[in-house]
Amino acid sequence: MTIADPVQIGASRAAAAARDARPLLELSRVSKRFPGVTALDQVDFELRHGEVHVLFGENGAGKSTLINIIAGTYPPDEGAFTYQGEAVVHLTPHAARLLGISPVFQEFSLVPDLTVEQNLFLGRELSRSGVLDRSRMRTRALDLIKLLGFDLDPNRKVRDLSRAHQQMVEIAKAFLADVRLLILDEPTASLTEAEAAKLFALIAKLKASGVGIIYVSHRMREIKQIADRITVLRDGRKIATVEAGDVSENALVEMMTGRKIEVLFPRIEPRPGAKLLEVENLTLANHTVTDVSFYARAGEITGVAGLVGCGKSELVRAVYGLELIAAGIIRVGGAAVTNPSPATLLKQGLCYFPSDRVAEGLALGRSVRENASMTALDLPAYSRRGVLQRASERRAIQSIVERLKLRPPQIERAVANLSGGNRQKVLLARGLTRDIRVYLFDEPTVGIDVGAKAEVYDLMKDVLATGAAIVLVSSELPEVLHLSHRLYVMHRSRMVAELTGSDINEQQVLSHFFREDAAGRAAPASSGGR
Amino acid sequence: MTDAIFVSKAGADRRRGLLDWLLILSLPLLMIAMELGVYAFEPRVLSLRNIVNVLNQSSYLVLFASAQMMVILTRGFDLSLGTTVSAISVASALVMTGLAAAGAPDFVLVAAGLIVGLGFGALVGLFNGFFVSWLGINPFVVTLGSLNICLGLATTISGGRPVFNVPDVFSLLFYNGVLIPGLSIPLMIAILVCLGLYFLLNHTVFGRSLYLIGNNPRAAYLAGLPSKRFLGLAYLACSLLAAFGALMLTARTGSGEPNLGGSLMLESIAAAVIGGVSLQGGVGGVGAVIMGTLFVTMLSNSMDLLEVGGYIQQILLGCVIIVAIFLDRLRLTRG
Repeated sequence: MTIADPVQIGASRAAAAARDARPLLELSRVSKRFPGVTALDQVDFELRHGEVHVLFGENGAGKSTLINIIAGTYPPDEGAFTYQGEAVVHLTPHAARLLGISPVFQEFSLVPDLTVEQNLFLGRELSRSGVLDRSRMRTRALDLIKLLGFDLDPNRKVRDLSRAHQQMVEIAKAFLADVRLLILDEPTASLTEAEAAKLFALIAKLKASGVGIIYVSHRMREIKQIADRITVLRDGRKIATVEAGDVSENALVEMMTGRKIEVLFPRIEPRPGAKLLEVENLTLANHTVTDVSFYARAGEITGVAGLVGCGKSELVRAVYGLELIAAGIIRVGGAAVTNPSPATLLKQGLCYFPSDRVAEGLALGRSVRENASMTALDLPAYSRRGVLQRASERRAIQSIVERLKLRPPQIERAVANLSGGNRQKVLLARGLTRDIRVYLFDEPTVGIDVGAKAEVYDLMKDVLATGAAIVLVSSELPEVLHLSHRLYVMHRSRMVAELTGSDINEQQVLSHFFREDAAGRAAPASSGGR
Repeated sequence: MTDAIFVSKAGADRRRGLLDWLLILSLPLLMIAMELGVYAFEPRVLSLRNIVNVLNQSSYLVLFASAQMMVILTRGFDLSLGTTVSAISVASALVMTGLAAAGAPDFVLVAAGLIVGLGFGALVGLFNGFFVSWLGINPFVVTLGSLNICLGLATTISGGRPVFNVPDVFSLLFYNGVLIPGLSIPLMIAILVCLGLYFLLNHTVFGRSLYLIGNNPRAAYLAGLPSKRFLGLAYLACSLLAAFGALMLTARTGSGEPNLGGSLMLESIAAAVIGGVSLQGGVGGVGAVIMGTLFVTMLSNSMDLLEVGGYIQQILLGCVIIVAIFLDRLRLTRG
């Protein structure tokens, strides 16, 4: 196998295919179910040659399922899959690559202990009569990196790279193949503006040569900049496919959430009271959080925004005793916490709700009741002298799940059988089993449907009214923008801004996301639209 | 969306329910089939005497299988169970025979036997629990280590020979005395222990926590459960149950036997896993242990009646365990 300029190869073949009037890819009525969830429900999707087609939707809307089906990760349960005019069945990731389908996922498929170059050529090493042809691979790797304009050293181990650089390797990998259909899943999530600009230039080049590109992104600015068409997904269904030029930002967000923004996000009046949580100069042993100070007040939602990997999640995890702290002071209700652990913090009225509900939140095999009461077994309503008060437990949990609108409100079902939204409600029920004064929410609406989302927000409103403090960590920008009364922005492990009032808007937040970048250049990052 | 999801979910539940029922019923059905099959060759298998015999034999294994269950629930297991039993048997027998020779009264003998036996069990349990729970070492490694330590102790203190002449009062109390006519003492103890364990697992914070820890240790920690303490306590409970079983076996044989626990480690794990206690943690209960124990005992009883050699029996038991673990996997991937 020889590899010429990958873009050139991709270009010539795709250009030939482009003469074909049929779309590059056509999915019709594709469905995919997982236990407890219908991830895709009768979705139609079409990708033309030389088109950038943006997939737009919230977390859990079905975007990743759709691109995973296209990449051959798993087969659809039903529906037709047509690629270059031919029906495709039994697609595997390997077969997809041979067909010229190159995915770049958010979860990287890199081997940490191999070098950049070894990762690029993994599974398709160049060889001469059975012996690895290192010099030729080196030349190719260097050529490709230069073409992409990435700052990458092919000799370095992937383990030692930053997330942004790993993202670059992942993208380079996709370009090394003979690509006809490129899938990019939030590729700019950890790139700087300059790197993103180079990626967009490449996308333009590929587009001109007839390659079809599926682009998943939440960012309005880049969607406006590169999209030809946009397909909006919500709760596993296709809402619409629109021409990018014909649609306003607000219309897109409303299609995505299914409601007017004012309706989805409840209006919550802040009534700031005492500082219930204070963090001073916190630094973690692994430096994912460096010298961060912040506070959360009763009656107020304190938002924390930032790019993936900026340390915002580690910050609240550290408060709950889940990360190793190198320096800093944490005060809950005015009292310093010397040795934070979940058990001690729960007793002090602070609870953390993890973003990864399966790994850290729930015992999937156990019932709703046991999962909900897990944090409160030390209270007299749940146990006395180590003996469970099962009747009183049942009553308490039953009334809590009814209040949270768990559907159906059956407390003896195993949590494994519940949908994402219901699982989150089970987790949130813990906040109501005992007197919690500080709620730390880590991506509270990831993977749940819009209805459940609105209910989570309503719960926030309720607990805030009782005088609790809420810390909301979220990568979902509209969420933190609309709900936060004060919004902190983190960037590369540091707290870079505290926004209040009308400063809480997309432009402000994004300018801090790309802070160093904007500062390094004469003109600040321009924001399209508004 | 909700309607579509609930329809499909209900469907999935029904299917899973059917498979579950098959798995739950498979063991009793298998036992009935086995007994009927053996009956064709050896009618004695279904005689009242043999059935009582099987029940009495089960009363020892059910203790050891329950002991294993306590730690299997937390995703662990106890390889040292067998040699712990041996060590306790010789240690308590030595103390009792020594005191008897010195002319100590009966109640002192019994008390000393119990204290030494249970005390030794507690030590092993704390040792295993400390290393597994507080130092986070894999239970395989820890209990393999204590297996050897106990084996060495059992052989050393007994000089490798059985300790004869365990006082009759001890055997009377824990083996052949009659408290309720028709109900042997071991069986009575087994029933009481099972009831106690049922309460412990289903009605106490400790029991509930074992399931939660086994199901998702990380989630249990984040929920503020005292995971380390309970994990350590599970190993303590395991070894104490094993110690009690060891004393009962010593009462039966009337001697301290350095090889008493030889096959018990495997049999106890087998009985628990066959009954449905999942090695993946968090699944199982007293009912499962009883069913598994009955199956293993019936199997060996049937083979004894059919005069199958002891070594062949071991081969078969090994195969049965592997099948049981395979079924456990199957159940888990379906769930």
